[in-house]
Amino acid sequence: MTLKQGAKSELTFVGSLFVLGLIVFWDTWRTELPEINLTISPTLFPYIVSILLMVLSTILFIQVLRGDSALPEGLEPGAKIEKSDLRTFCTVLASLFAYLLLIERAGFVIANTVTFIGISYSFGNKKMLKAAGIAVLLSTIVYFSFTKFLKVALPSGIFKGLM
Amino acid sequence: MSSFNSLLEGFAGALTLSNLMFGLLGTFLGTLVGVLPGIGPALAIALLLPITYTVSPSSALIMFAAIYYGAMYGGSTTSILLNTPGESGSVITALEGNKMARNGRAGPALATAAIGSFVAGTIATLILAFTAPTIADWAIQVGSAEYVALMLVAFSTVSSLLGSSQIRGFISLSVGLVLGLVGADLQSGLSRLTFGNDAALEGIETVIVIVSIFALGEALYIASRFRDTGWKIIPMKGRALMSRSDLKRSWKPWLRGTAIGFPLGIIPAGGSEVPTFISYSVEKSLSKNKDEFGHGAIEGVAGPEAANNANAAGALVPLLALGLPTSATAAVILVAFQTYQIQPGPLLFTTNPDLIWTLIASLFIGNTLLLILNLPLVRFWIQLLKIPRTYLFAGIVSFAMLGAYALNTSTFDLTVAIAIGIVGFLFRRYGMPITPLILGLILGPNLELQFRRALQISAGDYGTLVASPLSKILYLVLFLVIIGPTVARLRRKMKAKKAIIS
Repeated sequence: MTLKQGAKSELTFVGSLFVLGLIVFWDTWRTELPEINLTISPTLFPYIVSILLMVLSTILFIQVLRGDSALPEGLEPGAKIEKSDLRTFCTVLASLFAYLLLIERAGFVIANTVTFIGISYSFGNKKMLKAAGIAVLLSTIVYFSFTKFLKVALPSGIFKGLM
Repeated sequence: MSSFNSLLEGFAGALTLSNLMFGLLGTFLGTLVGVLPGIGPALAIALLLPITYTVSPSSALIMFAAIYYGAMYGGSTTSILLNTPGESGSVITALEGNKMARNGRAGPALATAAIGSFVAGTIATLILAFTAPTIADWAIQVGSAEYVALMLVAFSTVSSLLGSSQIRGFISLSVGLVLGLVGADLQSGLSRLTFGNDAALEGIETVIVIVSIFALGEALYIASRFRDTGWKIIPMKGRALMSRSDLKRSWKPWLRGTAIGFPLGIIPAGGSEVPTFISYSVEKSLSKNKDEFGHGAIEGVAGPEAANNANAAGALVPLLALGLPTSATAAVILVAFQTYQIQPGPLLFTTNPDLIWTLIASLFIGNTLLLILNLPLVRFWIQLLKIPRTYLFAGIVSFAMLGAYALNTSTFDLTVAIAIGIVGFLFRRYGMPITPLILGLILGPNLELQFRRALQISAGDYGTLVASPLSKILYLVLFLVIIGPTVARLRRKMKAKKAIIS
């Protein structure tokens, strides 16, 4: 059987949804119930949801095998489905992780600047110096308006004492 | 008459200086997120939820409702001038509106969209003001068992009507339900799906899911698939005005659009895609200028835009009267209510009448402000479209990350945000609609609560779920909604087979 282009990756995705259902089922099955008398057990809903997810993903899996591939958002029916640009995907993801890693270590201004530049680069910006300028300016403005006006504390990081 | 008097009092409440300022700010922000592709009203409100810590409930809710209405206005501008819908309700507007702009008729297209939105919004808000209290009165008698049925119907219609296939809608819903399960169970204290992580005990924050699935998911998706397709703005000549003949061709579509959009907002049809599409088909079949459709027919802009705004007002009816959101944006507004410990629903009109009537009155005021913001000031919004996409998305993403972090100042939330962002990417890539997930996440815990309550009252007798006539009707509807698409598909197949044989 030949599969439509992109169907293989879709099968992986649908398969992982089945696994998600399986994990929910397994986690519910292994939990020990507290000894209170409840009309409806707190495990009933997780069981229903996990079975629902497993059944539905199985049906979709079969549909995809039969050639009913998904239509990516924003494409017209019949349009050619191109592969995602993995490198760009990873740069965006790296920019997000940079935020996660930097926010409490280096502070908000640095984390925000790095992420801003990273995302701007991922979207094809070549003027990195300009992007950096905008990023620093924006981050500083946001930092002060949050900490001074909205009274939401943001990590000052390495600028501790300075800000 | 009591509705009328309450509404007048509502106006008194809404016309205070601070409430007016928040309304104005909301209409401004709403138009902004509507105009900018990539951010919708649901994301905008979710990002602004932290202000609920410092602002009074009425001010915040006025602002959020204004954002909701405003995005509907702003979205049409982008659809017409850019052919990229600013938000989902404006997809249909792009069909004729963008063609009109290409023919040098951007002005009349923008005018019919804005005035149509105003007319529809005003009529629909008026109907809202008089129907919502009645529905709420009736809904007080609705018990837990009926709520369970009502939510199941909402789940199934939203999952069936959105996206490319029914099954994908239901899978999206199920994933939302799974996310809603995470955390300690409220009744028994049993921790579910936390895998020993203490930070997960409180559950996954709804706001984080919304912010990351919309902002981060969209950024990952656009960057890796549509990076190079920038956008081209069609220049607008003259002013956003319409001639007498344009007006003559527009007013009926406006009214018809309102009549289609409002009722479809009340029933859970999952947002504005369906009503705008129906309005477009109706206008196409009724128009005397059928040959103009596809080449820039003004009716094809006027109808759907009116339907879109009437739909937004209609969606507020079940939200306020039943506590049941029917679109992603309504779901976020529900979360906003809940952060103030206010539960929308039948009791809202008796427990918080001031708040609710101020909110409804502010919708009229906001709608008027929006007409002013969108017609004479349309050039300002066009300028905004000139912000390069690279900076726009960089801004959206960094704000989303800030929003996710600032909620609890926790890096656990950021990890969740990134994970959900990847889910958002996968959903877009594999044609799964997002709204069912949001509804599942927000309403899932509520469904479980009502379900348990119903069975506790009946001492474990499952018959209680279908005991009342209302429940029976609702389960019948549920059954029809679930099997409807399958039956329709089978019939099409049979017809096709017959055609081949003969």
